[in-house]
Amino acid sequence: MAYVELYDINKHFKRFHASKDINISIEKGKLVALLGPSGSGKTTILRMIAGLENPDSGEIVIDGKVVNDVPGSERGIGFVFQSYALFRYMTVYDNIAFGLRVKKTPENEIKERVTELLDLIGCSGLEKRFPSQLSGGQRQRVAFARALAPNPQILLLDEPFAAIDAKVRLELRSWLRQMITKLNITSIFVTHDQDEAIEVADEIIVTNQGRVEQTGTPQELYKNPATPFVAQFIGQSTEVQNFDEFKCFEKEDESQTSFIRPEFVSIFKKGESLQFEKSAEEAIVEDIIFRGSNLEVKTRIHGNLISAIRSINDPAVEIGEEVFVFIYRLYVVTNDEVSLLINSSIAEEAIVI
Amino acid sequence: MKKRKSVIPGFGISLGITITILSIVVLIPLCSLVVFSAKLSFSEFVYTVTRPRVLSGYFVSISTAFIASLINVVMGLILAFVLVRYDFKGKKFIDGIIELPFALPTAVAGISLTHLTTTNGWVGSILYKLFGVKIAYTRIGITIALIFIGIPFVVRSVQPVLEKIDIQYEEAAFILGANSRTTFFKVIFPEILPAIISGFTLAFARSIGEYGSVVFIAGNTPYETEIAPLLIMSELQEYDYSAATSIALVMLAIAVVILSVNAIVQSIVSRRVNGLA
Amino acid sequence: MELRKENKALKTILIIISFLFLGIFLILPLIYILVTAFRYGISEYINAVTDEYAIKAALLTLEATLFAVVINTLFGIAAAWLITKYAFKGKKLLSTFIDLPVTVSPIIAGLIYVLTFGRQSFLYPILDSYGIQIIFAVPGIVLATIFVTFPFISRELIPVLTAQGSDEEEAAALMGAGTFHIFKKVTFPHIKWALLYGVVLCTARAMGEFGAVSVLSGHLRGKTNTLPLYIELLYQGYDFTGAFAASSILVVLAIVVLILRLVIEKKGKKELDLNK
Repeated sequence: MAYVELYDINKHFKRFHASKDINISIEKGKLVALLGPSGSGKTTILRMIAGLENPDSGEIVIDGKVVNDVPGSERGIGFVFQSYALFRYMTVYDNIAFGLRVKKTPENEIKERVTELLDLIGCSGLEKRFPSQLSGGQRQRVAFARALAPNPQILLLDEPFAAIDAKVRLELRSWLRQMITKLNITSIFVTHDQDEAIEVADEIIVTNQGRVEQTGTPQELYKNPATPFVAQFIGQSTEVQNFDEFKCFEKEDESQTSFIRPEFVSIFKKGESLQFEKSAEEAIVEDIIFRGSNLEVKTRIHGNLISAIRSINDPAVEIGEEVFVFIYRLYVVTNDEVSLLINSSIAEEAIVI
Repeated sequence: MKKRKSVIPGFGISLGITITILSIVVLIPLCSLVVFSAKLSFSEFVYTVTRPRVLSGYFVSISTAFIASLINVVMGLILAFVLVRYDFKGKKFIDGIIELPFALPTAVAGISLTHLTTTNGWVGSILYKLFGVKIAYTRIGITIALIFIGIPFVVRSVQPVLEKIDIQYEEAAFILGANSRTTFFKVIFPEILPAIISGFTLAFARSIGEYGSVVFIAGNTPYETEIAPLLIMSELQEYDYSAATSIALVMLAIAVVILSVNAIVQSIVSRRVNGLA
Repeated sequence: MELRKENKALKTILIIISFLFLGIFLILPLIYILVTAFRYGISEYINAVTDEYAIKAALLTLEATLFAVVINTLFGIAAAWLITKYAFKGKKLLSTFIDLPVTVSPIIAGLIYVLTFGRQSFLYPILDSYGIQIIFAVPGIVLATIFVTFPFISRELIPVLTAQGSDEEEAAALMGAGTFHIFKKVTFPHIKWALLYGVVLCTARAMGEFGAVSVLSGHLRGKTNTLPLYIELLYQGYDFTGAFAASSILVVLAIVVLILRLVIEKKGKKELDLNK
């Protein structure tokens, strides 16, 4: 059942068209990522749901009610700000209690709730500290607790991991995911980092230039990109226009272009056994980048620099070495439609079997 | 502390210029004040500064400066808020004119304010007829002059801090359900309080020592509207340097106390905000 | 930004309060000076401002201002450079001494010079044997003017230099540039607007200093009277038209200073934005 819905939302900032005909539907209890490059309008969507911005047109519906004219504080929303916006002159306790105090909750109930939340976020004992005396990770947890204190139905997070250093970020990601699953609260977070979105979210909404490009699970986005932007944005894609020059790929129409991901490509040393030797390209290794668990090998084929992933367990290749490159498949873009094109030698094989 | 030598040349020459000029303009005169003070006999010092006329001078200076600075805190806060948060016609003009007390010679401000507020002046006559209130040649007049010279101190302390407050704080308070009054008093006010205190103490310290703008409007009636700096001036005109220095020392002590209170407040605040506790 | 524009009534009230307050406290006195100065017509005004003593007073004010600006500029640059580019012991104490003069009552500033150079000082016989008189003479006025405007320039420069950091100077020094070369080519372009602003502030305050100068001046008409002292003299002699006419010169200068301030601020901001 859809819990948060946006219908035909448009928003301008002066002349800048920040949201263009946005339609979104988010189910109750889901953890959703708004993913897109900076300036794509993802934060604007979040802020409109929170009531921090008003749309020029369109409807925002929460739990079946149109909330366009309901102030943000009455929409049952918790908001975690990008830099947390913890009140610097209040202790951790007072920060978490703030939302309850303005609602005139009795002090003993506040105490109970704050203690419970501190326990939940694993920060018991820090209630008397000021935000400046906390680590980045602790600040984020406190911001999370402050947003949760008034028992919101929806949790909104604006780039929740942007202000944290890389190592703690990974830890916090899984922590946040666990927390949200445990609380079963509908959550929407904004990010520009696709790894973050793929790892944390149940569902991803990809935004670009004020529009929603595609909505789907991480797998769906990955396997079936609906638009050229998604094909190019998700994964580490290289655009190849002259893909018809590659063996076993043909263009149906001159205007087609394609995207190739490293995982679509294999590299074979000369002499390694290779099933489709006839349909492989010969190329020279131009660069090798060590990626920790594997190697990214760059070769030039018909003027395109194509990346492939090679396991470190395989025999090593060197820069300047002549190798075979086999491309299994690529995404073809025809008039803004994306389709998967499989190397015809595999396709034929499949037919034979 | 480990001494790290900077690669930038010019330490010697900049130190030389700084110390030379500082010595001539500030250090040597200050030393001579200390040397001269040391020669004062203690009983004479106590006798001078506890003369009723001197005590009354201190009282007049401190009380008027205090009231003027309080009024300036309220007005300065409003002005800073209006300048930072609102857009309106004439904003640039207000922003520019606030510095007028810094740019206009104090004596010029003094004679003008005096003439405006005498019982037959433009403003004074109205107030006298309506309420029977006299401004020029009373403590109210002194306070008015001190409001004039003190207002930029508060505005210029608060304005930049108010400008820098992240809107996220207010948004956070808003989403948590706070109305604009709660948001202002609980979230914004604590942020600007250090700047307000700083502006208040600067205006207060400056006002206690102010002479040029006050001396005309005060009327200088002993025990009534005679300010402490004027007492020093009169002693100097009678070449009684011991008495002048004694009165001045107490005023310096008061200024030091005021500024130290501010320094302590600011360091507590910065410790809390920057987490150096 | 919708949050911040809720209360129209409050906005109107606060803006009206602001205009009323500034109108009564700051603008009315200005208007009053100009009106009174021209009370008896233009010719009377011209007579008053071209009075021999008025011109002499204006020249002395100019002289003292010039000295104060030059010395404080030299000092301000050296001190700001010293404080922001090097780490050394006693830096905090140095800053305190630099800022001290503005917190001291102008009368006390005058007093300490009287104590230093006056008859009872041990320096007096030495200076006197060279025929140098400081207090109740022009050098005293100049010194007092320098004192009351002492930190004005360094205070403008220090924040700019701190924000700038020392990277560029260090890079230049490592490439072998000398002090003045670094200052001229690397540092100066960053601080020129702040410096100009400091000079404007210093000029404004120097022109108008009254208390400290009043202590140190011999009040000799045509010799040791600056413009503000001359105004006081006229005022106490009940020559109000003359006093306000002379004041109007300073009012015009003050307005020029305020306009310059806005212009410099704008230019400086523009340049800062360009550098970002």
